[in-house]
Amino acid sequence: MVFTFPHMGNIYMAAKITFDGLGIRYVVPPKNAKRALEIGSRISPEEMCLPFKIMMGNFVQSIHQGADCILLVGSRGPCRFGEYSELQYRLLKKAGYDVKFVVAKFQEEEDKEMDLASLKDIVAGVQMNKGAMIGAAVRGLRSMYLVDHLERKAHANTGYERSPGESRKLYEEGVAAAFAECNAQRAFTVLKDYKRRIDAVSLDKSKRPLKVAIIGEIYTIIDPFSNLCIEDKLMDLGVSSTRKLTPSWWITDTILRFFRLNGLDVIRHSGDYLPWWIGGHARECIAEAVMADREACDGAIQIYPMGCMPEVVARSILPNVSRDLDFPIMTLVVDEMTGEAGFITRIEAFLDLLERRRNKCII
Amino acid sequence: MKIGLPRGLYYYKFDTFLECFLKGLGAEVVLTPDTNKNILVGGVAACVDDACLPVKLYHGHVLYLRDKCDLIIVPRIMEMAKKEYICPKFCGLPEMLKNSIPGLPPITELPFAMHDPKRQLKWCEAAGRLAGAGGEKARRSFSLAYDAFKKTCRGVDDCTKTYKIGLLGHAYNIYDKFANMDVVKKLGELDAGVITEESIPDACKREIYKSLLIYPFWSSVKETVGAGMYLAKNHAVDGLLYLSSFQCGIDSVNVDLLKDFIGSFPMLVLKLDEHAGEAGIETRVEAFMDMIERRRANGIHLPSYGQYIYGG
Repeated sequence: MVFTFPHMGNIYMAAKITFDGLGIRYVVPPKNAKRALEIGSRISPEEMCLPFKIMMGNFVQSIHQGADCILLVGSRGPCRFGEYSELQYRLLKKAGYDVKFVVAKFQEEEDKEMDLASLKDIVAGVQMNKGAMIGAAVRGLRSMYLVDHLERKAHANTGYERSPGESRKLYEEGVAAAFAECNAQRAFTVLKDYKRRIDAVSLDKSKRPLKVAIIGEIYTIIDPFSNLCIEDKLMDLGVSSTRKLTPSWWITDTILRFFRLNGLDVIRHSGDYLPWWIGGHARECIAEAVMADREACDGAIQIYPMGCMPEVVARSILPNVSRDLDFPIMTLVVDEMTGEAGFITRIEAFLDLLERRRNKCII
Repeated sequence: MKIGLPRGLYYYKFDTFLECFLKGLGAEVVLTPDTNKNILVGGVAACVDDACLPVKLYHGHVLYLRDKCDLIIVPRIMEMAKKEYICPKFCGLPEMLKNSIPGLPPITELPFAMHDPKRQLKWCEAAGRLAGAGGEKARRSFSLAYDAFKKTCRGVDDCTKTYKIGLLGHAYNIYDKFANMDVVKKLGELDAGVITEESIPDACKREIYKSLLIYPFWSSVKETVGAGMYLAKNHAVDGLLYLSSFQCGIDSVNVDLLKDFIGSFPMLVLKLDEHAGEAGIETRVEAFMDMIERRRANGIHLPSYGQYIYGG
């Protein structure tokens, strides 16, 4: 079997290093672009959310390159992400692509499985002992943390660097160099090397660039294509940005969930506004807005795909968070129709506002 | 003590329980009128703009109650049955209301769990406390209301007409005559009776589990899609009419699942939003019924054009 998986930011790096380590055949779908979205929108329901459509594009493009089994993470929250695999399987079949799905589930394992391949099928062809297999998987997970570290540093360092753009260059170089490497161990070493270099970037902490937190729906804030590369735009403008939701955050959260220790800071910070888990990452969104204010960010930008149910709830709460904390929050909704010019205008206007707030008029 | 009860969302499912319980508390119940233009306008203005029509209407109902009562009953529904969830907007409904409508009287916040009498009793006790009634009174009216709820059976099954249409969708779209512009009456005028998901036995709806890949976590997959699939597979109706609100996340999955299951069986999907013109709905319903009539007259069960064009 040849495996494939949907794109979401940099998770392809971790997947590549894991599969290379295990010696499993796989296809990395072409980078998210207009083409994937076009293919996806054509075969997806009109009112589906943006991540679904982009993922469908990824799958079709991968299938054309020879993939025949799709790896996906499942969920049983009330957000529609949990029904993705069901519908995607059917729609792909309808469009003439007969593929298998492997859905990794981490909650409430009472599901019956039908046409689903299981984790056993993935490792069936691997000629390795168990220890080496676990080692390769752990290396894959650790590389996710490394890539996220590079990305976080690149975004956070913007504006503070003595030679502007250094961290960003290191991040982009590091990811490209690790991706070009076919040996898992060497790719991992490359990432570690770049981590060391990015940690050594010289910063001038006396500078005071604008600092913005990116909050909202996990896919659209992690995946640069779906949010029209908002973080790159912020870096271009010399704005430092932070984002709590990353693939590695998700891994940590999922592991902690087994011990019921996940989201403790989320519970603490969102308690006043949203004391219940309502699915998706609505509660995280509220908590991150509150945390961003505590961490002396100048403002926050919420991004979510059109029609995202949990984020609509979060959006109706955010104006009050903003008012109570005197903390500016802008909401951007993305879908396949989002125009880039309108997007840029709004971001620039928001940043102008943040800048002006700093020189508060005292009269 | 005046207790407000908004006539929206799952009021249409739990009306017997809520009314009976509140009456038992001995409080004066202010029930909002049927949805009307003023409620719609108020709701649209108060609610965030990318919520769906039923949520906006609910905001309108609560806005209507704001100055007329001392407590508003807002059921926060997290689960419809064990491990069968519901739209996240229902889970965060009290927060949405509190943050969108300023100056609200107290509202109920505990989860409303009709599938689990123990948790539901807790909700009732908390609601009783808010209403100023003692625990004993709340418990007594809970058991009365719960029995009354168990005895009621909703659901329409109109066999008096020539044609029969399976009316699918969320309860608040089907029973809110303003939101769906009384589509049942329109169908009736065209000599079509309707049957809704509640009139179909649970065992028949459960058939759908056999065809699904993963166990669905929304109750409506079984209730609505299961009902549609059963009706279509057994040719118990002449066609299906799916009432769905624009931007409904659950329906974006359900409608396409159902389309996949029923193949070329006739189905009309009507999207409801705050701008819907009545003439457009009428035209589509008439065209759909024309098609059904011709289908029956020709005695064939496949549309002549080879694929159904009314889906979407």
